[in-house]
Amino acid sequence: MALSHPVISFGGSKIAVDVPHLAFVTAIVAWCIWFCRDAWLAQADVENLIMIVPAAIAAGILYVFVAGSCFSVVGHTDNFEARRSLDRGVGVKIAGTMALLAALVIAGPLIGFDIASFVYILATLLLLGERRIAALLLIPALFCIVVIYCFDTILPIPLPLFFAAGGAP
Amino acid sequence: MINMTALLDAVHLLGSSWQPWLVVVPGILIGLIVHAVPGLTTSMALSICLPLIPYMDFLQALIFMTAMYAGALFGVAIPAVLLNVPGSAAAVGTTFDGFPMAQAGRHNEALGLALAASCAGQAAAYLLLLCLAEPIAAFAIKLGPPEMLVVSVWGLTLIARLRGRHLARGLLAGVFGLLLGTVGLSARGAPRGTFDIDLLLDGIPIVPAIVGLFAAAELFNLVGRDYVVDDLTRRSVNAGRILAGMRDTFRYPGTLLRGALLGTGLGLLPGGHAIANLLSYSEARRAAKDPEKFGTGDPRGIIAAESANASSEGGSMATLLALGIPTGGATAVMLVAFSMHNITGGPAFMREHTDIVYAVILSSLAQVVFLAVLGFGFIFVAGFVVKVRLRALVPTVLALAVIGSFALSQNMAGPITLAAFAVIGWLMQRFDYPVAATVVGLLLGRLTEGALLRTYQMSGGEIEFMLTRPIALGMLVLLVLSIILPYLRLSRSGLVARP
Repeated sequence: MALSHPVISFGGSKIAVDVPHLAFVTAIVAWCIWFCRDAWLAQADVENLIMIVPAAIAAGILYVFVAGSCFSVVGHTDNFEARRSLDRGVGVKIAGTMALLAALVIAGPLIGFDIASFVYILATLLLLGERRIAALLLIPALFCIVVIYCFDTILPIPLPLFFAAGGAP
Repeated sequence: MINMTALLDAVHLLGSSWQPWLVVVPGILIGLIVHAVPGLTTSMALSICLPLIPYMDFLQALIFMTAMYAGALFGVAIPAVLLNVPGSAAAVGTTFDGFPMAQAGRHNEALGLALAASCAGQAAAYLLLLCLAEPIAAFAIKLGPPEMLVVSVWGLTLIARLRGRHLARGLLAGVFGLLLGTVGLSARGAPRGTFDIDLLLDGIPIVPAIVGLFAAAELFNLVGRDYVVDDLTRRSVNAGRILAGMRDTFRYPGTLLRGALLGTGLGLLPGGHAIANLLSYSEARRAAKDPEKFGTGDPRGIIAAESANASSEGGSMATLLALGIPTGGATAVMLVAFSMHNITGGPAFMREHTDIVYAVILSSLAQVVFLAVLGFGFIFVAGFVVKVRLRALVPTVLALAVIGSFALSQNMAGPITLAAFAVIGWLMQRFDYPVAATVVGLLLGRLTEGALLRTYQMSGGEIEFMLTRPIALGMLVLLVLSIILPYLRLSRSGLVARP
């Protein structure tokens, strides 16, 4: 299914705008410009800016071309069409996988990677359609036993774990 | 070139006892297993094994460490091919064609290609080292920041070649990566782009960022599918097809040799081993008559990246043995092993212990055979990943990557970077930006800035300074020719697109 784009009128022509892409490229280039400014404020000398300033200028110039491609006369939006809208079910699964990954990253060091990984794998399995009880319990349990305790044994620093630490890390 | 007396002594050292050989198999296996886990590095594996070093004699310790190094350099290719997870910077180039081959059900051939190219690259590098150890060391000492700058710029030209369908998006992705690569403290201690977060003072953790951009983003895309390989009939792990892939490697001797030479040369330079695979890939693509096939599952892409990656070990060992200088994390840990035996690498070591140097080289050549056999068995086991349902694979690989990135950075910076770059990578793919260009920029950002800064300081801003650096000048000419010649070739054959 093709994406639909907002349309604006400009000089009598109807222009379609690829808003998500425009927002993405603007965010990237805004970060590049902000980074250049931050580096400049930190130390305004050649040694510090020898590569950052030329690269940020290049980003600004490239933005003109990329942002320009986000506008197209209605009926000539071929360059937009390569990106199709996600199937709703798949979109929900991707967003859910991202959210669960973020939860694992935050919760791992707080409650221990053993508990967090178990819950994360179990939840992701459920989200992605696994319904067999044996698989739901065995896969996270095997992961925790084999991987986490191998890591804990070989790593030079202790991995935050709930059980090995005898309680919360 | 070869000191025959020392060579015979080395043969005697290796042949008179089976003890030095005892450590080869465990070393290669540890390297293979550790590096097949995203986030774990060669230097980490070597560090973990350091407590064993005092219990070995010096030659045995060196053979153990080179075996682990060799295993690790191939080990990274396995997740790169099967899951698009480059466990380290050294495997980024392998993903470009390795994963498309896996998705097309040609994972057996892709892994076979990677193994054979890795073995051949290592053999070529050590043969070169055997014949030219001393001249190579003398050459290495002449390489400085200007030469490294040219190498970095050479690497950056890859961004233009990885541009994908849209030139401006490709270049912007590369520039974005370059700037990301310079986040952190500047050479003079100014914090840049750190948001006042101490964890970012050392810069963005590279490996978690790469794993996030490539692997996690790709895994999000696989969420709606059942298996990495859709077609059931292509999901098999087949020894015959792995062997066919290994045989296919030798159908491209030019790509193999170019990769091995580039890898050995770049391995001599600090940080060079990390970009050897990318430069070799770039050069293979440039030299090809059909460069558009690269990135779609072309065997030459895997051969170029893997042969350079494996041969960079030989270059790194040359610098370590002959100059006593580590060129990366792994050789830095090896230097610690030297000190545990009260031995200092460098010209005096080369002069006084030539027999040991030759013994290490000869054992590394023998390790190629061990690697071929053990690597074959290992990929036979690892290949079964394609039979695992993605709904089980996605959460376990992501959880493994998060824990691996925590282990690598030893703080929250790794996992947070991984998660953030996973989302950025997915968005980039969605909007048709080449993620690989950002990775190249990220890898080369700090390296290029450092080389540019030191060259600027050495030259005082005078461009004529480059005239006093014949090696840099020669490399610069080669770089310019490598950019111009393909266009000249195309324009002669009338293939250049007209506006």
